[in-house]
Amino acid sequence: MQNLHRQTLIGLFAVVAGLFLMIVAIPNWVSSPSNVRNIILSPVFWPYTLSALTIVIGLGLTITGHFSSEDMSQEKAEIPGGYGRLAIMAVVMVIYMFGLPRLGMVWTSMLAFVTTAFLVRTSHPKTALICAICVPLVLYVFFAHIASVAIPQGNFVRLP
Amino acid sequence: MKFAKFSAVSAMVIGLATAASAADYPERPINMVIPYGAGGATDISARTIAEPLGKAVGQSLIMANVTGAGGATGSVAVKNAKADGYTMLFARVGSHSVNPAMKATLPYTLDDFRFVTVYEINPFACAVEANSDINSMDDLIAKVAEGGVSYSSSGVGSGLHLAGAMVLDEFGVEDPLNAATHIPQKGGGAAVTAVLNGTATFLCTNSSALASFVANGQMKPLMVTTKEPVVGFDAPTAADLGKPALHQLVGWTGIAGPADISDEVAGKWGEWMAAAAGDEEFVSSMEARGSIIDVMSPEDANAFIQEQYNTFRALVDKLGMRIEG
Amino acid sequence: MSFVDSILAGLSLVGNFEAFLALFAGVAIGTIAGAIPGMSATMAVALTLPFTFSMQPIIAILLLLGVYKGGIFGGSIPAILIKTPGTPASSATVLDGYPLAEKGQAGKALGMALWASCTADLISNLALILFAGWLASFALNFGPPEFFTLILFSLTIIAGVSGASLLRGALSAMLGLLLATVGLDLVYGTNRFTFGDPSMMGGLNFIAVLIGLFAIPEVLAMVWDPKPHKGQTRSLGDNKVTFGEYKRCFKSIVRGSFIGVFLGSIPGIGAAPSAFLSYSEARRKSPNRDNFGKGELEGVAASEAGNNGVAGATLIPLLALGVPGDVITAIIIGAFMVHGLQPGPMMFILNVDIIYGLFIGLIVSSVFLFFIGSIAIRGFKYVADIPRGVLFPGVLVLCVYGVFAVNNNIFDVGVMFVMGWVGFLMMRNDIPAAPFLIAFILGPLLEDNFRQAMLMSGSSPAILFRGPITWFFWGLTVLTVIAIIRAGIRATRNLKRRA
Repeated sequence: MQNLHRQTLIGLFAVVAGLFLMIVAIPNWVSSPSNVRNIILSPVFWPYTLSALTIVIGLGLTITGHFSSEDMSQEKAEIPGGYGRLAIMAVVMVIYMFGLPRLGMVWTSMLAFVTTAFLVRTSHPKTALICAICVPLVLYVFFAHIASVAIPQGNFVRLP
Repeated sequence: MKFAKFSAVSAMVIGLATAASAADYPERPINMVIPYGAGGATDISARTIAEPLGKAVGQSLIMANVTGAGGATGSVAVKNAKADGYTMLFARVGSHSVNPAMKATLPYTLDDFRFVTVYEINPFACAVEANSDINSMDDLIAKVAEGGVSYSSSGVGSGLHLAGAMVLDEFGVEDPLNAATHIPQKGGGAAVTAVLNGTATFLCTNSSALASFVANGQMKPLMVTTKEPVVGFDAPTAADLGKPALHQLVGWTGIAGPADISDEVAGKWGEWMAAAAGDEEFVSSMEARGSIIDVMSPEDANAFIQEQYNTFRALVDKLGMRIEG
Repeated sequence: MSFVDSILAGLSLVGNFEAFLALFAGVAIGTIAGAIPGMSATMAVALTLPFTFSMQPIIAILLLLGVYKGGIFGGSIPAILIKTPGTPASSATVLDGYPLAEKGQAGKALGMALWASCTADLISNLALILFAGWLASFALNFGPPEFFTLILFSLTIIAGVSGASLLRGALSAMLGLLLATVGLDLVYGTNRFTFGDPSMMGGLNFIAVLIGLFAIPEVLAMVWDPKPHKGQTRSLGDNKVTFGEYKRCFKSIVRGSFIGVFLGSIPGIGAAPSAFLSYSEARRKSPNRDNFGKGELEGVAASEAGNNGVAGATLIPLLALGVPGDVITAIIIGAFMVHGLQPGPMMFILNVDIIYGLFIGLIVSSVFLFFIGSIAIRGFKYVADIPRGVLFPGVLVLCVYGVFAVNNNIFDVGVMFVMGWVGFLMMRNDIPAAPFLIAFILGPLLEDNFRQAMLMSGSSPAILFRGPITWFFWGLTVLTVIAIIRAGIRATRNLKRRA
């Protein structure tokens, strides 16, 4: 068992996830009233069924993965700096979420545009910078004034 | 938690800042949250009044549908908004009297809102499919005793759900929750369809939702909950049937803000609504759909909703319908 | 009134410049709105509604119908160009449309989408005119047990979009089904996985999940590995679909149109499942089966036929029964009522001129759709010329705006981001995203109808076998499952022989 097949790993993950749902998640986070007349009408019936099926499929994946000769790593597994860039992207998304109600959608989007363009190593930095300013503004004008959507404005600078 | 404190403090600071300039209110467009989906009764009502109301306000009104959880998602959005009068809610019977009465886990209470008006009253009517052998409320009650009767609603904790139970209870059905089966659907349209295709026996809903089906001869009205007969509904009123308690069972649409909006803001809304409701086109298009236009002052609106809430709450407790989980 | 009289009455109502202008404007507005992710056809119709209050009824309704039809087609443009379906209905178009765009054949894909859409639209409109009454009474036979069996059958689509491994597809579908349980319980109204958050109580927003699953992983993949695409642009390629290609896909288009008509006439299903069903049927019947999902023109044709086939047919329950088939027709019913019209059987007697006016308008709208669609393709093709280093950050920002606009809720943006990571992980592990999506759409329908059926029967499963319709779908399901298993066994055998 020196090298587990990718599919076996996915299968094991599914089994663990299914067990987690059955043992921890459903009893704790799905509330079922006490006056349920019949088990098949209970709010927990469907989640339990799904968890059980997930475990079955997980077992299937584990077993077939063991015998499978399918090559599932066609793509290069390691790219220099890939994980670092993904981590930065995750942080950008968190900041994006945090900034939306406070800074406003337009300004946050400009920042996100610039960082993302930088992360994907754009070959047109000047165009990207111009777009970073224009795209959120144009979208704002469209959504706020033509589609009349209440785009979050934030606490600092309000746009007309 | 820090985060919540931060936003609370900033909301207060900004709240103070705008309170000082209440005289200028409104100096920018006002967000109007509609807690139900596009095309629904609340949405159409809201978009119909938006036109005359916008003229009265003198600023544009931005209509935003925030749907989900039977109106709860949108209501919470307004509850948590700054109380500066720039975020207001179109509240409805379902979101603001039935839901609080029925759901223990609802993330808001009536105290989280300040009503500035209720402008539309919509009678409820009960109806069955046109080919059904049920021709009156008495037939229906007799059928319930035999068993196998069901009623549809737009979801658990909706006005339709409560209405079905309340009507059966008023007509003397013992233990109405088990005597008749409640078959919840997703949305008011689906609830009517369920009666049309025989999934459920009857439903009680806004007369506006039923009007076209009654006019088309697809459905048979059994009663309306008002004192006066409803145009187009050839059915006895609750008063005719000697059930005055059912008069409480009416739909309404109103406008509310977060609990802390200032008196100036509430006062201005009172003026605007009075002006907007005078608009002839608005009144005629609302009345064409079976609604009664009755603009209430902020005080009357609050009293009206409290009374309806208390009636519903008493019924819910009596029947054990409260949703605890 | 004879048929000819009815048509003449209808013609006198719509035979003026204003009516055609409204229809034309509607299709144009819809196409543009549909092409903007997040601005779904639903939203476009809802936004147009208030403007129609002051118009004549027939003109108002033609305008809205134009927006609807344009919106459903418009959604396919971003689905093909940037893997971001403009409307849920066009999510099946992504499966083959985007790979075609990657190969530099976006022009062909868009062209085929337009041809298929217009053909399906025409068939759908004809079905409405000829069989409205019949299909409507058929649709009324669909109660929860019939729905349950239909949805169960529809879930077999998953096999058709699973790609290399059926088991991995099934796992993806399970994740979708599980995610769809978030929200308030249908029967008891209790919380499921909501953690007391009011935004979770409404369930996860479908468009947020959809865009998160398809568009955001592309951005993340670009961040993960920017090199291979550096500075690269794609060409729109040969902008013409040849008649030969259209002829080759014609069978799939017609089949898709009929699937659309059938599913559209039953209230409550909508265009997205229809597109997927049409896609998976086309794949099952096609000689190029193995090429599906890798950029097969026929896949685009089938999905677009499936979703546009719904557009005319959803008007069947609307006009014949007064029942809305989906969210969009619910809004259009609102428009009828604002003008004092009450759709239903009586309308065919009282307002026959309006009914036939609508019919004429609908037929014309298919033609308008073709012209406006051709112009739109030409306009949007420049998207393909944008360098990727600028395009992808733009897609990210566009998605944020669009997803927010759907429900005016910042929470949905968070859902989209999280689903983006889920989608990226799935992509890295060769777990297909399409089954996830189908399950996410169909899961709640399956569960709700099952439980409604159980409520109807007092928990007796016998109700799931009532009547011929349920038997028909049970049979179809069993046959399909057997076929899937046999195909699976054959595939493994072939693999072994080769090895």
